[in-house]
Amino acid sequence: MGRYLVRRTLFLILVLWIVSVVTFLIFVKLPPGDPARRAAGRRATAETIADAREALGLDKPVFVQYGRFAKGLVPWPGWFLNEEVYFSWSNFVPVREEIAGRLPVSATLALGAAGTWLLLGVPIGVISAVRRRSIADRAAMVFALFGVSAPIFWLAQVFLFVFWFKLGIAPGSGLERDATLLESVFQGKFIMPWVVLALAYAAFYARMIRGNLIETMGEDYIRTARAKGLSEGRVIYRHGLRAALTPVVTMMGLDLGALLGGAFITETVFNLPGVGQYAVRAIYTNDFPAVMGVTILAAFFIVVANLVVDVVYAFLDPRVRYG
Amino acid sequence: MSKKLKLLALVTVLAMTAAACGGDEEEPEPGGATGPTGVTAPEEDIPVGGTLNSAIVSDVSAGFDPQKEYYQLSWEFFRCCLTRTLMNYNGMPVDQAGTEAQPDLAAAAPEQSADGLTWTFTLKTGIMYGPPFEDVEVHAQDIIRAVERTADPEASLGGYPFYYSPIEGFDAFSDGEADSISGLEAPDDYTLVITTTRPAGDIPNLFAMPATAPIPPNPDDPDATLGVAEGHTEDYGRYLVATGPYMFEGSESLDFSLPPKDQPTLSGVEVGKFYTLVRNPSYDPATDTLRGAYIDRYEIAVGGDPVDLLNKVEAGDLDLCIDCGTPPDFLRRYQTDPELQPLLHINPSGGNRYISFNLAVPPMDDIHVRKALNLATDKDGSRKFRGGPPAGDVATHIVPDALLDNLLADYDPYPTPNFQGDIEAAKAEMAQSKYDTDGDGVCDAPECSDILMVVSEASPPYPEQTALLQDNWGELGLTFNVKQFEHTTMYSKCSDPATKAAVCNSVGWLPDYFDAATVIPPLFGTEGLYPAYGNLSLLGADADYLAEYGYDPIDIPNVDDRIEECKVIPFGAERFECWANLDRYLMEEVVNWVPLLFDTNRTIVGDRIVNFVHSASAGMEALDRLALAEGSE
Repeated sequence: MGRYLVRRTLFLILVLWIVSVVTFLIFVKLPPGDPARRAAGRRATAETIADAREALGLDKPVFVQYGRFAKGLVPWPGWFLNEEVYFSWSNFVPVREEIAGRLPVSATLALGAAGTWLLLGVPIGVISAVRRRSIADRAAMVFALFGVSAPIFWLAQVFLFVFWFKLGIAPGSGLERDATLLESVFQGKFIMPWVVLALAYAAFYARMIRGNLIETMGEDYIRTARAKGLSEGRVIYRHGLRAALTPVVTMMGLDLGALLGGAFITETVFNLPGVGQYAVRAIYTNDFPAVMGVTILAAFFIVVANLVVDVVYAFLDPRVRYG
Repeated sequence: MSKKLKLLALVTVLAMTAAACGGDEEEPEPGGATGPTGVTAPEEDIPVGGTLNSAIVSDVSAGFDPQKEYYQLSWEFFRCCLTRTLMNYNGMPVDQAGTEAQPDLAAAAPEQSADGLTWTFTLKTGIMYGPPFEDVEVHAQDIIRAVERTADPEASLGGYPFYYSPIEGFDAFSDGEADSISGLEAPDDYTLVITTTRPAGDIPNLFAMPATAPIPPNPDDPDATLGVAEGHTEDYGRYLVATGPYMFEGSESLDFSLPPKDQPTLSGVEVGKFYTLVRNPSYDPATDTLRGAYIDRYEIAVGGDPVDLLNKVEAGDLDLCIDCGTPPDFLRRYQTDPELQPLLHINPSGGNRYISFNLAVPPMDDIHVRKALNLATDKDGSRKFRGGPPAGDVATHIVPDALLDNLLADYDPYPTPNFQGDIEAAKAEMAQSKYDTDGDGVCDAPECSDILMVVSEASPPYPEQTALLQDNWGELGLTFNVKQFEHTTMYSKCSDPATKAAVCNSVGWLPDYFDAATVIPPLFGTEGLYPAYGNLSLLGADADYLAEYGYDPIDIPNVDDRIEECKVIPFGAERFECWANLDRYLMEEVVNWVPLLFDTNRTIVGDRIVNFVHSASAGMEALDRLALAEGSE
């Protein structure tokens, strides 16, 4: 297990390095416009562009430029997202400060949404698996199709329009100026974002659990359990569902990891000041230090989630062994 | 792309976003169905107090750093609320002197020497800074400090230091060749003498811009050249010391005795999230004739979806979304519902929309082709994609009328019935072109095919407008190779001569202040040539410049001398006349544009707002003249 962890950690570093190189190339070396020219404004001259290039550190050789950004990704005191390099080109605020302030919002959204889609997806998946071709199963199928098909940006707008603007039963978008995150949660500010974000995921999860459970319920050990006289509920929940949920852990870990890096659309439409909203603005303004910071953060969460999932798998499924 | 261009683009795109949902419903007519734009009650009857709950979709461009901010919206916050400058604007419409730079920190209008090279400002006495410097008076040296910071390329990154280049020694100081700006002197605390290298009629306007707002000295570090801004090259906005009627919340906690990195930032500035303005206790309204300042507190949330935010305005959760624009479905409802009508305000933005031709690319190198295209364009049809008449007046020349004292209000060198194009007249013009080899009014040379047209993909209106133009101009035999780009990228592509785009049809411009000097020089002078944005037609490009970007040598008109003639004339009738003549010349002898529209600014406000005044200088609502209904919290 120890060797496995070391190997996976090295792999994690490799992935992050590749992501950082690709991000650097896309946003600094291959953008449609010159960041220095953009920064120099509409009356740019060769001189002011040169000044901007120097101020942004773009006058140095490419490998030096990359090196400065890469150094800021090393989790070492004074290096990690250091303000010398990781300083927003568009709003002149340290990237670390922005991410630190926004991460709790993204985490609250992600965890709440994950809980919501499990609460929705698991029961729906189970019901539609144990009552195949029933009305409940058909309804679950419709729900799944709707959840998968409805774009989040549209769903979010519809929810806001119906539940806040027309019916007035849910709070509107945004968080209150002086409210803490906990207060915002209790004010219900996250309910609609959780539900909207969860609907798409819940649909996937319901379909996946249905399929897994149907497959599992056909296994020999289930027949054995039934033959031993266990109640159907016990067979389903104790023996069937446990096995059917194992792949869900993988999905859950990856989805949660991705969401921790920011739910771009949900945060933007619901005006939640999370990492995703920050990333959207950074991309829009070609604010490379911010884009790099957020991208690496998102990649970090995903690869770490992958690692955690693989390790947890060993505990959930005795057949899995790492060495 | 410049921040102001961005705003113009953003507001329009947002305003048009929902147009596609509008179907074929009849467009509302502009005019009487809009809210009042002037002061709605005598000054003494305007309610005072309350908190304005507002939002902005896009954040300000540089965290309220006065030297970097080059954005209409942040300029209005500086003007209305945060900073006072030697001269300033009163936040009123054109007919109430809203475009005139008037004394603010200055006791009176500046005196100009006979040779036009020296300007002397006298400051009012007793103007004090906001917390934490309530006991510090604004002095002339503080304005010099601000201009020196403007000359610092890093501190003014993305700003507008080029405007101050006529000040003697400004460029040398900027280049690090001098310790001070020789053209700025403060013989005493209340006198500022400005010397320019050439007559500059717009010095009063230049000293109304936020970059010249005074920066106080740092009492704990008297040697700091930039005063309290020292050490805050990137982020002075988070440490801004106010002079206006408002300040950022938490200003009293600023502590400049600490090293810059350890200084606490303003709690009222959460870049990208919130801004909070509260009353500045040092502000004395008796010294200020330019501002209203009726509201006690401004809360500005950053971000969100424009439609959602406008719904919040309608629901009363917000009083105002400052940069949301007005999508056509909102416009329709607010124009037709009697209860909502007073909450909609339509006013000229001061900006324009146009089609630009690159004069170095055939067949646009032929003036007859360009004139023919002016005659063939259905400008009214183009306007429909922006929402119809409420989007603004069809433009028949270059500079918005208000900037020319309406001298060209009735001028239209290419008249067509209802602005819908006149193909027969266009063909008659085309017949004179060398590209119409048989003189039948149809462009038949090979150059008339596959002409590169660069277009914004923002829909509506640009793809739709492009289709209309292809239809209009197709009747003259022209065919196009249309390349669509994301809106910001489109500006980059159009301004880069290497693109060799013959036509750019998705561009617009917003003046920095109400003078044609902020329209014609950057758009038609060589100062606007790439790498600057603006002069997309390559006017004034010489053979070397053209060769650098792979063009064959060609004679392109140069209007720099004509521009300089107008620039040096002091404000007044003669200056208006000069710019108007240049506008005529460009329209008739150069013809590098098809002017399309003089834009409007459309604003929906919440029902708590009882006083709404359009600020002509800002091209948007005067934020200091908003007032909330009596008893509003």
